Amino acid sequence: MQSDYQAYARDLFDKDKVNSKPEALKGIRVLDLSHMIFGPTAAKTLGQYGAEVVKVEVPYQGDHWRSSSYWGKFWKHANPFWQFMNHSKYFVAIDVKKKKGKDLILQLAEMSDVVVENFSPGTVDAWGIGYRQIKEANPKIIYASCSTFGQYGPFRYMPGWDLLAQGASGMLAATGHPDTDKYFKVPDFYGDFFPGVYAAMLIMIALNARERTGLGQYLDIAQAEILMRALPHFTYDRATGKELGRSGSNDPTMSPSGIFKTADDAFVALAIGSDKQFLGLSQAMKEPGLADDSRFTKAVDRLKPEHAKELNLKITTWIESQPAQALIDLAGEFGFPVAPVMDDLDISVDEWRRERGNVVNFNDEMYGDFVLEASTTLMSGTPSRIKWLTRPLGYHNRYIFKELLGLTEPEIQKLEKERAVGYWDFKVGQRPPVYYDIDNDPLFNYEK
Amino acid sequence: MNPDGKQEALDDTLVLDLSFANFSGIITASFFAEAGAEVIKVEPPEGDPARVMTPHGETVEGVGIPFLSEGRNKRHIILDISQQDDLEKLKKLVVKADVLIESYAPGEMDSLGLGYRQLKELNPGLIYISLTPYGQFGSLAEKREGIPWSDLTSQAESGLAALIGDLPDTPEPYNWPTRAGFYAAAYATAVEAATAALVALFYKRATGEGQMLDIATADAYASCVGIPPTFGHVWNHSRIRYGTLDYGLCPYGFFKCKDGHVAIACFRDQDFRAALKILGRWDMEEDWRSLLDRITDDVSKVKELNDEIEKTVAKFTYDEIFSKFSAYAVKAARSKWKGGGMPVTTKMVSAREVMDIKHWQARSTFSEVEHPVFGVLTLPTAGKMSETPPRIKWISAQLGEDNDFVTEKFGL
Repeated sequence: MQSDYQAYARDLFDKDKVNSKPEALKGIRVLDLSHMIFGPTAAKTLGQYGAEVVKVEVPYQGDHWRSSSYWGKFWKHANPFWQFMNHSKYFVAIDVKKKKGKDLILQLAEMSDVVVENFSPGTVDAWGIGYRQIKEANPKIIYASCSTFGQYGPFRYMPGWDLLAQGASGMLAATGHPDTDKYFKVPDFYGDFFPGVYAAMLIMIALNARERTGLGQYLDIAQAEILMRALPHFTYDRATGKELGRSGSNDPTMSPSGIFKTADDAFVALAIGSDKQFLGLSQAMKEPGLADDSRFTKAVDRLKPEHAKELNLKITTWIESQPAQALIDLAGEFGFPVAPVMDDLDISVDEWRRERGNVVNFNDEMYGDFVLEASTTLMSGTPSRIKWLTRPLGYHNRYIFKELLGLTEPEIQKLEKERAVGYWDFKVGQRPPVYYDIDNDPLFNYEK
Repeated sequence: MNPDGKQEALDDTLVLDLSFANFSGIITASFFAEAGAEVIKVEPPEGDPARVMTPHGETVEGVGIPFLSEGRNKRHIILDISQQDDLEKLKKLVVKADVLIESYAPGEMDSLGLGYRQLKELNPGLIYISLTPYGQFGSLAEKREGIPWSDLTSQAESGLAALIGDLPDTPEPYNWPTRAGFYAAAYATAVEAATAALVALFYKRATGEGQMLDIATADAYASCVGIPPTFGHVWNHSRIRYGTLDYGLCPYGFFKCKDGHVAIACFRDQDFRAALKILGRWDMEEDWRSLLDRITDDVSKVKELNDEIEKTVAKFTYDEIFSKFSAYAVKAARSKWKGGGMPVTTKMVSAREVMDIKHWQARSTFSEVEHPVFGVLTLPTAGKMSETPPRIKWISAQLGEDNDFVTEKFGL
């Protein structure tokens, strides 16, 4: 490495300079009609790169995910995990089932670049805020409908989410130990979050296309299909005539590979991809002859189940004799992939993630100090950023209705009275934290 | 949604994929290729080791299954950058490129004169993506620069493996951290990298400016789902592995029935009541009535509930449960009374079963592509777009398969 490269890279991605750099999606407005995880994640991803995201929720009910959490525990009267998927958005509460509410949504859609929704297929169309209706007033709109099974096909009316998508896509059947009848789902709603970012990617493709053609379009984004896109099982099955199935912690594309217990009772993962890496491993094990064994020299041979099994037995014994740190040092010295198994707490206090700004300590005006994931992708020119955490239901009503829609205070009060727009009820996740002085909040009471 | 005759979104975009032994780079490039970009994978004469990262060593004509599947719409060329002639050819391509993807150790490209700071002089609009375990700077980028990428190590280090596996009281190694059975980290990394690169491309269309993207693959899962660092911070401890239980609610998961595994997932009290009624277990209602009873922070208690549901579900076939749940849901949805519950289910299916389902056939989810050497391949696709649909036009995967094409097209 050139001696000044680290310093060059550090400066290129300097955390302290993020807020003085431009935002790539400034000027793009996203109308986020979605709820739970899949749709909100797509909108948040665009928001972190500078898009203005207006999230519309049902008054006095809100996004159901506001009031959900793990183990029934909340943080400052909010679901702590909701912060990550909805930060930096504007929160308005409008009732689409009231004529005046629907008109407000249509007005917002008319001045937006992107709409994201994830109701059951057909719902937004029935409400009169579907692609068909919105493109009349705004032909340049990019309208993303997110669902489990997609907008057409025999399963189109079947509702779903992460768990069902994992089961229906073949993903669930791929995870676990082959000799058991337990199938483990990929945890923490991977089946919603991964498709959520995927949806943002498709929207970005459409935005790039619109720069060239001037045309908007409709996106039918089915999460089960997105999970399938990540599985090699289909291609493998058709090409070999065999089912790939499950393989526990062994990665069948890497040999040796697995998760092993070390001498100091820690867990490490090891996975050898290339012949060069295998040579490094055999030297680290002080068994250089292994790489000359014709069963193990070449990856395609090492990967054969009987050879992979034999190698994994050797590795199990070797790793049992080594403390985790020694293994990691050897991996660095001899050039093969080893990593510690890290859990929630390890990751929350991990130094290198903080140094990079992948995990950040964010100080929010309403919630104070909070630790969350920013983004794993650092951009030198137009970095992503967090502007604020989430806000109570209807918090930005006045700000958005006055600034974007030009409504007057009496008009807003009339809409409130008719319950076409609204706020939180007392439910956890919707209301402001108990210590917070909402009555004197200038944004909540914008020009009141 | 049929792509025939429709425009491609990115057919003005050139992507160079120099990633090496790293599927997160290869997949990032695939997403561009599916959207119509010209994607050239540049390999050294010995080829990318990723060519044979394939389940159980199974190949088609010497090329691994994942590499074939990700060879969609790509071009494969060989350049030996230790030779001046080939280095010049690469630089010629760089001048025309919009995106470059690489995965060498931090600083390695820089020391070859192919780092961002050198190439941006040739092409200020270049979007330069680096994918490494720990990124380009910081303590571990330095300390562990010699450790190469793998999907499994990325899963482990980003918090995923620690959460998969059976409950603590089950025998070893079933209670150990466990791998998600596919490239969970690589796909999460790739979709984040491609999204950021498309954001950069959008910015470039307005300003002409390129930039560098630095991705740490050891943060893949944590940054995709966001939960691990926040959980550790708020609770100040880590979660134990929960087997087939869920951290949120019970019952929530797939349960073994007579002929497979069926989803039972009850979010609200009314969903739970509906499931109990249908399954003939109203006797349990009093003990587990409120959502608070079914929150899963007390493992032993929730296991009791889970076991009861498991025993009950085992007496039914999937079709019995599906038809009863569906009939109930339709009845409840039509009723004016809104508290009826919405029991929803589906069956766990294997990849082979998925391909036989009419729904996915009607949506053309699987694309069959023929290659003169590799024969017919079946590939999954995702994302329907009405004006510029992604599509699979061809497969290319032989070493140097497109040398002539690229040489001619780009005047190398």
